[in-house]
Amino acid sequence: MTHPFTLAARAVALVATAAIAMAAHKPEPRWWSPGEGRVFPAVLDYRNDAGTYRILLTGGPMPTKGHPFFEPVGSNGRACVTCHQPADGMSLSAASAAKRWDETGGKDPLFAATDGSNCPTLPQDRRESHSLLIERGLFRIQRSWPASEWNGRKITPDFTIEVVRDPNGCNSAPGYGPKAGNISVYRRPRPVSNFKYLLAVGFNFDPKQGMVLPRDPDGNGLQSGNLMADNRAANLRLQMEDASGAHLQILRHLSKAQITRITDFEMRLYSAQAESRQAGALDSAGAEGGPAKLRDSQPGALGSMGKPVWSEFAAWENIPPAEAARLTPEQLAFRKSVARGARVFRDRTFLISDSSGINAPIGFGNPVRNSCVFCHNMSQMGNDVAPGQVDLGTTTLPYADPWPDLPLFRITCLKRPHPFYGRVIYTYDPGFALTTGRCADVGKITLQSMRGLAARAPYFSNGLAKDLRGVVDYYDRRYDIGYTEQDKQDLVNLMSVL
Amino acid sequence: MKKSLALLALILPVSAQAAAQTSDLVRFVSCPVYRDTDSGRKSGCWLADDRESGARYDVSLSPYKPDWNHATLVEGRVAAAPPTACGSTVLDPVRTSVLEAPCPRHMLPAEGYAGRKFVLPPRNITPNAVPRKVVAGPFAARTFAVFFEFDRSFLVYQYGDYLLEQAANWLEAAKPKRIVVTGYAATRPETVSGQVLAEHPDIAAERAETIAESLRRLLPEATIETATALDAEVTDLPDADGIPGQSQRRVEIRAEF
Repeated sequence: MTHPFTLAARAVALVATAAIAMAAHKPEPRWWSPGEGRVFPAVLDYRNDAGTYRILLTGGPMPTKGHPFFEPVGSNGRACVTCHQPADGMSLSAASAAKRWDETGGKDPLFAATDGSNCPTLPQDRRESHSLLIERGLFRIQRSWPASEWNGRKITPDFTIEVVRDPNGCNSAPGYGPKAGNISVYRRPRPVSNFKYLLAVGFNFDPKQGMVLPRDPDGNGLQSGNLMADNRAANLRLQMEDASGAHLQILRHLSKAQITRITDFEMRLYSAQAESRQAGALDSAGAEGGPAKLRDSQPGALGSMGKPVWSEFAAWENIPPAEAARLTPEQLAFRKSVARGARVFRDRTFLISDSSGINAPIGFGNPVRNSCVFCHNMSQMGNDVAPGQVDLGTTTLPYADPWPDLPLFRITCLKRPHPFYGRVIYTYDPGFALTTGRCADVGKITLQSMRGLAARAPYFSNGLAKDLRGVVDYYDRRYDIGYTEQDKQDLVNLMSVL
Repeated sequence: MKKSLALLALILPVSAQAAAQTSDLVRFVSCPVYRDTDSGRKSGCWLADDRESGARYDVSLSPYKPDWNHATLVEGRVAAAPPTACGSTVLDPVRTSVLEAPCPRHMLPAEGYAGRKFVLPPRNITPNAVPRKVVAGPFAARTFAVFFEFDRSFLVYQYGDYLLEQAANWLEAAKPKRIVVTGYAATRPETVSGQVLAEHPDIAAERAETIAESLRRLLPEATIETATALDAEVTDLPDADGIPGQSQRRVEIRAEF
């Protein structure tokens, strides 16, 4: 006869084991909240509408407990991970922001008044006060004006800036706006991943500025110039200090040890779409999609000199009959579409005109015939090998779409007029000019990585394109390219698997 | 005297009345015309009309190309190449500087012309991943030159950057006591196509600073001084490609030991 205590003990043990087993299999929430203390695995997959986005953490799993990227080191309860969510391509999609609002009633630190609302002066308990974040994934970025260099030296701008309209109040309320020494613009967070590429220096020159690249103030050679939308951070340390002050509202500076730990984590991350809902595994049948290729390749190479941009999918141009027979008709058609999209991206030329950083002052001419890879030229990544500050018109009239909920600024150039806009420019975001103080740089936004796009809509620095089709349509309108419907779908399919 | 006359003949543009012959120098201002040829990337043609002679030239081979919104100062030599690529007499070498004066945009269709398939110009910098040749001594005082567009201090892609990198590689190996960077400007007024052209005096200092700052970034240990010189004279420096105006618009980098 078994002792009743033993039976009870066995029952408890069974329940406990079952609970542990259930806990082990219970999917962890998509949303990473600060201070959860999860272990960041070596391979982390997240489903999205286009398939599966995969993050590789080289060197193996990493406990996040106590890690400054994951802990709320500032005063508002946020951590870096709040706005750089693994499921969202290490960025943040507008859909996730909206879901988070609904789940928490706006109590999540994501919606901190300082930059997670349209302006801190608005009533913070109302959804509409956070509409730019919820609907377009935009955070408020407050730049000091006039700008200062990294060493604190003030820049003397060659233009004046006035506020034409200020729907949110953060460019005209007391303490806000140019008259108060600051300018608020609204931007998407950039992905924290694949930094090996974003920090790569392929050449010593910045052909768009007509100079040798600036030196890294921390003595790490020349700067890549590809870190932030307005290129205000010379290196990761300065980016972290900027972000921890502005977005985490840290009361003291990040310590050297914290910066080292965050840098170590960020440099170990490689990510990309790994599986397509329609095409299947993106590294199958000779294709080289997915993050492993990123992890294993040398950064900073020009596609025109080495491995052509998006040639990862070249094997899908001619799928052998035996392989094709193993695929569904939909899979086969989608794979061929992706391969065609890569060709269109590289080979379909069009006239690029009146775009500062492309047509002037660099001597390519205005107009110049080229394709998407003219600027998206880095192998494996599709960002610019040179610092990628160009003006596509996404933030500046007349090219940008009307956005009544964004502030509009009037820039007046005091010396030479802007090469294409003239002396007076109307813009939602002066971009790089907020860093350099130069009228010629108004509207320039740094190109970014094209990896993990499917996980992090909307697109462009101000969320102008709500989906990938919107990106293609913008370019088609801006440069009168004349893409066919097939071209457009092929480009969308390509971008969905990057 | 005979040599001076020969040099003068090379410097002076061909007269309005004379038909341009191979290697003749032409220099004029006009509104550029873009011909939309398509042989792939960067294959469009740039054309420009010399109003005085009535000749239309293919100026596509300039390292810095026109902007269809602005007038262009054309300086070049008539080449023997047939006008098959773009449909007009080829200037090579040639320079096309963008001027402030506005122009109406004008684009021609390809009209059967193919343009030129893009090839890397000979003066192009290699990626950092490619090891540089070690520069061998002995080293002695030497001067390098970098050239610019009219009235600009912008380092020209695949021209100025190449020349600067050649200089920097040598300077890095030679480790001179000091480097003197002298910016020149062609400030003496000249009449071209009925317009008086002269570079702003400030551009000399801007050019010197562009090169000096670039050298500081490449060679942080170097001692660098700047100087300026106005009324720049024509020189026969080889990388100006025999174009007198180009030879004036320069920076000289002098290594002193």
